[in-house]
Amino acid sequence: MSTDAEPILRIEGVVKKFGPRTVLNQVDLTVQPGEVVVLVGPSGTGKSTLLRCVNGLEEIQGGRVLFENRPVVANSKSVIDVRKHIGMIFQSFNLYPHLTALGNVMLAPMKVLGESKSVVEARARELFRKVRLEHRADAYPGQLSGGEQQRVAIARALAMNPSLLLFDEPTSALDPETVGDVLDVMEDLAREGRTMMVVTHEIGFARHVGDRIVFMDEGRIVEMGAPEEVIDAPREERTRQFFSSILRG
Amino acid sequence: MQFDDDVTHYWRFFLSGTLTTLWISWLALMLGGILGTVVAHMRMSRIAALRIFALGYTEFFRSIPPLMLFFGSYYGISFALDVNLNPFTSATLALTFTASSLMAEVVRSGIESVGTGQWLAATASAMTRLQVFRYVVWPQALRVCLPPATGVYISTLKDSSVASVIGYIELTRSGLLIRETTGSSFDVFLIIATIYFVINYGLSLCGGALERRFRIVH
Repeated sequence: MSTDAEPILRIEGVVKKFGPRTVLNQVDLTVQPGEVVVLVGPSGTGKSTLLRCVNGLEEIQGGRVLFENRPVVANSKSVIDVRKHIGMIFQSFNLYPHLTALGNVMLAPMKVLGESKSVVEARARELFRKVRLEHRADAYPGQLSGGEQQRVAIARALAMNPSLLLFDEPTSALDPETVGDVLDVMEDLAREGRTMMVVTHEIGFARHVGDRIVFMDEGRIVEMGAPEEVIDAPREERTRQFFSSILRG
Repeated sequence: MQFDDDVTHYWRFFLSGTLTTLWISWLALMLGGILGTVVAHMRMSRIAALRIFALGYTEFFRSIPPLMLFFGSYYGISFALDVNLNPFTSATLALTFTASSLMAEVVRSGIESVGTGQWLAATASAMTRLQVFRYVVWPQALRVCLPPATGVYISTLKDSSVASVIGYIELTRSGLLIRETTGSSFDVFLIIATIYFVINYGLSLCGGALERRFRIVH
């Protein structure tokens, strides 16, 4: 990863308000291609909201978001084109319960990108191998465990060949024994050189897989840097408090 | 049980009355389903005027007894628009108004039963609003709508008996005519009631079977 390359994502002075409450307050963040940025911090500090501003699921009240130099504007026509290149994985999986796992993965490439069924199916089967679920492709989401559902959700995001992946607390709703399967798949993706933004409380993952840790509190980025700096030798008192409390607990 | 011979001789009239009742209530259910779906989407629109219109429409037609609607569409519309609506058209209109107001609520609750997570996932995968409805929301909502829609069909079918007041010859009207002709009374009502029961109980069973057939494993 070189820092002088053209960034894939630029978040500049973003302000997000829900009514009178300011959830994001002047957030600046730049993401380089191939970089894994891990967002950590207490609950309710705007990490997930920031992810949703990246693909225009949330309207912003100030600043701007540039994806591959194109502005991301919620509720605009152009936002559809941006979303074709950004995959998103949710805490609660959000698989479509009326479709099989394979149907979930194939839906958007066929209906949004207009690709043919045979092309999409071949790619989908390949993705099921990648997430180690080739034997579960014909199951319905309700028949899958949480860890399996989340891996299908990852395959669903990858099926669009995105250049940026957003993970919104992907393991927070999982049983402890299935968390590892999902993190393994995410680590594989990072090794492949995928560009990822990950909101998580898994500090082990942040330390080993993250290129950069962004610590957020109360709608602001408190500090960011390499994992060994932010986690082990934070400059800010607030960061030190946070990591010492969760690493102890 | 022994029926009056006179009454059973009229089985053809009972049959045609039954078919007419099934046809007009089915037609009203289909038209009401389409209209109700449109009204339900207006009710959830981002445009306030559409929401208010849809709310007024639903509450109005849900609150007016079918008898008033039959008179209203037969005499009222004919008078107001200076057209001559036949009993069939008037009855279909009246039944469609009621069915659409009921279906609007059924469709709305079906759509609202689909969680926001589904919207987020589909929207994030670059689908347009229409695509989200078509491929993600409607297929799930339809399954939720089936059982209450069966209820609307049954209630529409029962309401259609009131069409006899404007001279439309459906099952109830057929029975009343046979009764006048034969002078029989109780037998005719018993036969009609039995036919209504068999149809509606059958619909109820079909609805249950459809519901099991389309159930989603969560």
